[in-house]
Amino acid sequence: MADPGRLALIHEEIDGELDAAGRAELARWLLADPEGHALRDDLRRLCTALDSVPAVEPPEQLRGSILAALPHTYTERRRSWTPGWRYAALIAGVVAAGAVVLQTVRGPGPAQSDVTGTMSAPVPALVDTVQLAGGPVSGRVSLYRESSRLGLKFDLVASSPVDVVVTAGGHSVQVSGLGATEQKVTPPTTVVLAGFPTEVQTVDLAFLMGGRQVGTARLRGSGGR
Amino acid sequence: MSEDADCTLVRRCREGDRRACGELVLRYQKPVYNAALRLLRNPDDARDVAQTAFMKVFEHLADYDPRYKFYSWIYRIAVNEALDTLGSRKSFEEIPDDAADEAAGPDRLLEGEQTTRAIEDALSRIKPELRSVIVLRHFMHLSYQDMSDILQLPEKTVKSRLYDARQLLRSALLQRGTVSHG
Repeated sequence: MADPGRLALIHEEIDGELDAAGRAELARWLLADPEGHALRDDLRRLCTALDSVPAVEPPEQLRGSILAALPHTYTERRRSWTPGWRYAALIAGVVAAGAVVLQTVRGPGPAQSDVTGTMSAPVPALVDTVQLAGGPVSGRVSLYRESSRLGLKFDLVASSPVDVVVTAGGHSVQVSGLGATEQKVTPPTTVVLAGFPTEVQTVDLAFLMGGRQVGTARLRGSGGR
Repeated sequence: MSEDADCTLVRRCREGDRRACGELVLRYQKPVYNAALRLLRNPDDARDVAQTAFMKVFEHLADYDPRYKFYSWIYRIAVNEALDTLGSRKSFEEIPDDAADEAAGPDRLLEGEQTTRAIEDALSRIKPELRSVIVLRHFMHLSYQDMSDILQLPEKTVKSRLYDARQLLRSALLQRGTVSHG
C-alpha cells in the first residue's frame, strides 16, 4: 500500500490539481514502483467510471411546482404581500371589472354579476387544499369558508391561461384566464362562490386549456367532514 | 454556469422578477436534482429535496452575499438538505474500512448501465460524508476549493474524505468487476 503522501499525489494528478513539482515527484516514484503505477491506473479507471455516470433529467413538473410555491415564500415576502383574503376584495374587484371572465356553464347558478363578491372580516377558514403536480397545470387550489360563503383561491402555473370549471352542490361556474406563465406574472386569484351552498360535500374542479380538459381535482367541503 | 449571469438573475429575483426566478430554477434544477438523487438514490426524495432547496434559496435570497459564488450557495443548501434527509433514514449498509486490502476482482470491465448501477450501489453503502464528496467531485465536477466552500470544511479534510471514498469505492467495484486491475 502506497504511503498517504504519494497516494495524495495520485489523486491530485487525476483531479488535475497537481502542480509541476508534484507531477515530477509522482513520475519519479511511478517509474520506480510498478505497484504504484497499477494503483494509479486503477484509480484512474474508477474516476473515469464515476465521471461517466450520466446525469438524469429532473421531473418535468419540478420547475413548475417550485414556481407555483414561490408566491407563498420569496415573492410575497420581498413585496410584503399579505397572502390570502385581505386581497380578496381587490382581486374580486378586478374579477368584477372583467379581468377574469366568469361564465355560468350549468345548474341553477346565480347571475354572472352575483358570482363574485368581496370577503372581508371575519377571517375565512381554510377548508381544504389540493396540490397540483405532474400535469400541464401545477400549483394549488384552496377552499375557504367565511360565514355563509365559500371561496376558492387559485395559485396556478401553466404554459398558457387556464379555465377552471367549478362544480359543487348542483351549481357550476367557469373561471377563465387563470395561472401565471413565464410571460405573465399573476398573484393568486380569489373567487367567491356566491350562490353556492356552504355545506357541500365536495367541490370538483375541471381544468381546461384551449378548451380541452387537461385535469381534474376534488376538494372536500365542510359538509363532507 | 456564468457567475455574472447568476448575479444578474439573483438581483432581478430580489426585485420580485418572477421570470428571473424561473430562469434560476432552469439553470440549477438539473445539478441540484442530480446531487440529491445520487446522495439519496430515491427519485421522490430527490425531487422533494430539490424543491425544498429552491424554496430555501428564494426565501433567503436577501441574505445571499454576492461576493461568493451563487452555485456554491445553492449546492450547499441542496447537499445539506439531502444529508438531513439521509440522516433521518440511518439505513445504509456500510462498506468496511478494511475492504480495500481484500479486494481482488476479475479482470473485466462492466460497461454502461451495469457500471452505473454498480457505482450507485457502492455509493449508497459508504458514509454520507464520503458520498457527498464523490457527488460534488465526480457528478458535479467541482474543484477542491469549491467543495471546501460548499461543505464548509478545510480543503485538507475534503481531500482526505475524497481519497478515502475512492478507496472504498475502488475495493467495492473491484469485487464486482466494475473496474479492472491494470
